[in-house]
Amino acid sequence: MSSMVKSTLSKISFGQTGFFQYLVMCLITLIVFIPLLIIVLASLKTLPEISQMTPLALPHSLYLGNFRETFVKAKIILSLFNSLTIALSSVIINAVIGAMAAFIIARFDFKFKKVVLGMFLVAMVIPFYTVEVARFQLIKEMGLYNTLYAPILIYIGADMMQIFLYKQYIDKVSVSLDESAMLDGASYLKIFTKIVLPLIMPAVATLAIIKFVDITNDMYIPYLYIPSDKYRTLTTTLMTFAGDRSVNWASISACIIWILIPTLLVYFSFQKYILKGITAGSIKE
Amino acid sequence: MGISYSQQKKLIILGFLAIPVLLLIVFMFYPTLKLFQFSVTDWDGFSPAFKYVGLENFRQLILKSNDVWIALRNNSYYFLIHLLTIPFEIVVASILCGKIRSSKFFQSITFLPYVINGVAVALTFSYFYSPNGGALNSMLDFLHLSALKMGWLSNIYIVNFVLVSVSLWRFCGLHVILFIAGILSIPTEYYEAASIDGANSFRQFTNITIPGIKTVLELVLFLNVRGALSVFDIPFLMTNGGPGYETSTFMVYTIKTAFQFNQYGLASAMAVVLVILIIIFGYVQSKVIKIKG
Repeated sequence: MSSMVKSTLSKISFGQTGFFQYLVMCLITLIVFIPLLIIVLASLKTLPEISQMTPLALPHSLYLGNFRETFVKAKIILSLFNSLTIALSSVIINAVIGAMAAFIIARFDFKFKKVVLGMFLVAMVIPFYTVEVARFQLIKEMGLYNTLYAPILIYIGADMMQIFLYKQYIDKVSVSLDESAMLDGASYLKIFTKIVLPLIMPAVATLAIIKFVDITNDMYIPYLYIPSDKYRTLTTTLMTFAGDRSVNWASISACIIWILIPTLLVYFSFQKYILKGITAGSIKE
Repeated sequence: MGISYSQQKKLIILGFLAIPVLLLIVFMFYPTLKLFQFSVTDWDGFSPAFKYVGLENFRQLILKSNDVWIALRNNSYYFLIHLLTIPFEIVVASILCGKIRSSKFFQSITFLPYVINGVAVALTFSYFYSPNGGALNSMLDFLHLSALKMGWLSNIYIVNFVLVSVSLWRFCGLHVILFIAGILSIPTEYYEAASIDGANSFRQFTNITIPGIKTVLELVLFLNVRGALSVFDIPFLMTNGGPGYETSTFMVYTIKTAFQFNQYGLASAMAVVLVILIIIFGYVQSKVIKIKG
């Protein structure tokens, strides 16, 4: 596999001059990094420094006061705890029931299969946010408004796109494996948990990581459904903190960095899987 | 086990599908139906009773409300500018699939903005473009280019383009990664055969790479329609749709209509229009591509 990819890589180069390509990539790197660098530098500056110095100038000394101040003020620990609770529980449950549904769709024929498949497809086309006006009322009627159940249930239930991906992976698992297990008298449940699930685990894990990042970064659902102070998430705490008129750019920058640390840690430790997962996701059919 | 496989089959189908299907019905389809119902009422969001007003909300949207058209114009900026960047994204993807050294490093940098929290992105660029001590204006001062200083987020002639630039910063990396996936799925033999026939790399790019990534291109184009029509957090967080309604997108306007002005009926009608627009635009676009390719 890797030798194939390598020879593909060596064949597809656009233009022969390496110079043009490096120029483009270095420019992109600068465009990505300059706004982030400005935030990092601003977070290390004292108030007089931030008003007098140009944004790309280094501060006179490493000033960590902004970080200390925002860590307490923005309740980073509480928000991290809430974000992790919401993201971990919805990602895990979503992955498990998604894999279960995909197993059924990949392996069995039944009466309403077309209907079920159609439902999952239609849900992909309806944009997540447009139904919010009506979903908001539903959540209120169910008594879930301002509880952690609201975001968790919405993240689990409304997004099942990964089913189609899991199905592709399950299709690649040979049916003869199931059949020989059935000769030994294994139940379907056992076939799923002992044969299919372990084999598609890499795909499930990859998509789970991507979804974890998406959920921790989402502002809309927590902003709408859990406005209570004790349920602030990393995203909404940053919004609240920055919405306070008395704060300055130095402390907002420090708060931004606190919020970014968890996601960036996940990204840089799992980036190989994330990139691979997205790559796999697009090559459907 | 005592149960026959045919009985087991029924049990497992029911058991494994019940929860996901139930959740989908409760949290996706039921609210969507409700949306259609609310769209023909004058409901304010809290009164126990509401009146059916027929198509009045839709009439008001199309004929009376100038702001809806401003919002749609703003959505079209996002759509068109993102569309124009797609060829550039494909070129970058093919550079990253090529012989370039540290390609993995550049890939992770390109994708980095997409993993960053949307609120953090909005605030970072609010500081960057801020009129009072913002980063861009101070850098222009430093470079003795003070004449170019502007109210980046208040000048109505440029503010939408400033916001689109933030959207580009955030989402282009995702498209590049998707295009990389497409390029890697093209069998190597095609390129080998082409170089034996003496096709140069530009010809290979136009005749093999572009047709080879058609599926991904369709996906990206659909994501672009859906994304551009439902832009929300960048304008909501950076300008709150202002000054006036100058940077309001359809989604910002819908959410404000519902949750600030308590006009749920009207907001539901807007959401219905949005779903229909996404389906129509997605469909038309896919037809246009079919004709071309």
